[in-house]
Amino acid sequence: MKLQHNLGGLEGLDPINTETQVFVEPWEQRIFGIHTAMMALSNHLGDSLPDYAIEEVPTEFKSFWTWGHLRMGAEGMHPFDYFRLRYYEKWLGGISGFFISEGYITQEELDARTAELLENSAKAAAPLPSGGAAEIDAQVLKYLQEGDSPLRELPAPPKFSVGDRVRVKNISPGDHSRLPGHLKGHLAEVVLVYEGAFTYFFPTEDGIGVPMPVYSLAFKNEEIWPESLTEPNSLYFNDIFEVYLEAV
Amino acid sequence: MPSNYPGFKYEANREAVSAAKVKALESLLIEKGIITSNTVDNILGYFETEMGPFNGAKLVARAWVDPDFKARLLADCNAACEELDFPQGMSGAEGEHMRIVENTPEVHNIIVCTLCSCYPWPTLGLPPYWFKDPTFRARVVREPRKVLSEFGVEIDDSVEVRVWDSSAQIRWWVLPMRPEGTDGMGEAELAALLTPEAMMGVATVKV
Repeated sequence: MKLQHNLGGLEGLDPINTETQVFVEPWEQRIFGIHTAMMALSNHLGDSLPDYAIEEVPTEFKSFWTWGHLRMGAEGMHPFDYFRLRYYEKWLGGISGFFISEGYITQEELDARTAELLENSAKAAAPLPSGGAAEIDAQVLKYLQEGDSPLRELPAPPKFSVGDRVRVKNISPGDHSRLPGHLKGHLAEVVLVYEGAFTYFFPTEDGIGVPMPVYSLAFKNEEIWPESLTEPNSLYFNDIFEVYLEAV
Repeated sequence: MPSNYPGFKYEANREAVSAAKVKALESLLIEKGIITSNTVDNILGYFETEMGPFNGAKLVARAWVDPDFKARLLADCNAACEELDFPQGMSGAEGEHMRIVENTPEVHNIIVCTLCSCYPWPTLGLPPYWFKDPTFRARVVREPRKVLSEFGVEIDDSVEVRVWDSSAQIRWWVLPMRPEGTDGMGEAELAALLTPEAMMGVATVKV
């Protein structure tokens, strides 16, 4: 069990920080943009529903990169580091590590370039290198406009129907999961069976990544948490992949 | 600036190091032909002008003045988006499968993503800091009324509070209630009243 998978219902936390800015430091915008470009240039887009000629895009990026890859970096962290670091700090570490592990850059060149920028304010303020093929940016725009729908044909009829009571399996999340840990072992009612099947692109150890039904489940808070800690008249809905559920 | 738990210790140059590292990374990626010198700026510009909460605001305003449109928006958000004159991309990245839930005098909805920060990009743009902060994600599912009161919204116990957690592939958002005193307003005037927070369920719409 990793604490970052089990956030729901933690006690003893601070008041909400209601900061409404998206980026609280200017540098955070840059890592968001880099991640989005990686999503738009990922090698798996050749198999996507939109017509992406991804093999013909003149980028040197030839890797598979999805939300699953990004999330695995954050979910795999030491739990105290997960909470010590801000959202985009986790992205920066995970994305830098990916470019190094895939051999696009080395740790040494990244460290050396970082040190140079920290020591030399003129270089830190200088513009980025210029250039690059316009077709790369055309693909990025096309991705933003057309996306990457995970909807697929149903491989088999859904196991559950509206009104069924189901139990969330108690399984290990592995490196990356789309099952909130605080739901494990708890009962819920199926309120909607989404049409079709959904892939996740990224195969996880706990079984998502192939097309399967997804359900909207309604949980009663007092079934998950002690009643004294819950509030009256509230319902908690969660979209859950079929592989995470078992019949009651 | 938001900080994490104050017991955590950070280097004094925490932000300067991250700023240098991301600039080092971006410049290396440009030099190596992975992205171009325009890629990141283009993406950021897209969320300034094409995809953002200004789109969601137009949809909500239309729903407020046109009950038939509202019914279509609630039944099939993506299809209803096509009826308005939006730029290309309303079913694009992170908007492929969107759903909207309606606040009424009987039901109040809030969205959350306890595992990360899933969010409908075409209608709402990019999520604010508070939505990504672990404190909100942890607390809102168990004590939504307390969380709402910290945002300045008091919900009577007679109103059912529904919390929608995006753990799979649907991106949720909220159709807030139209405020009193807006009877004579047109769609543009109504759209100007909307905030991202109102379309996430942590604010009411004020005149």
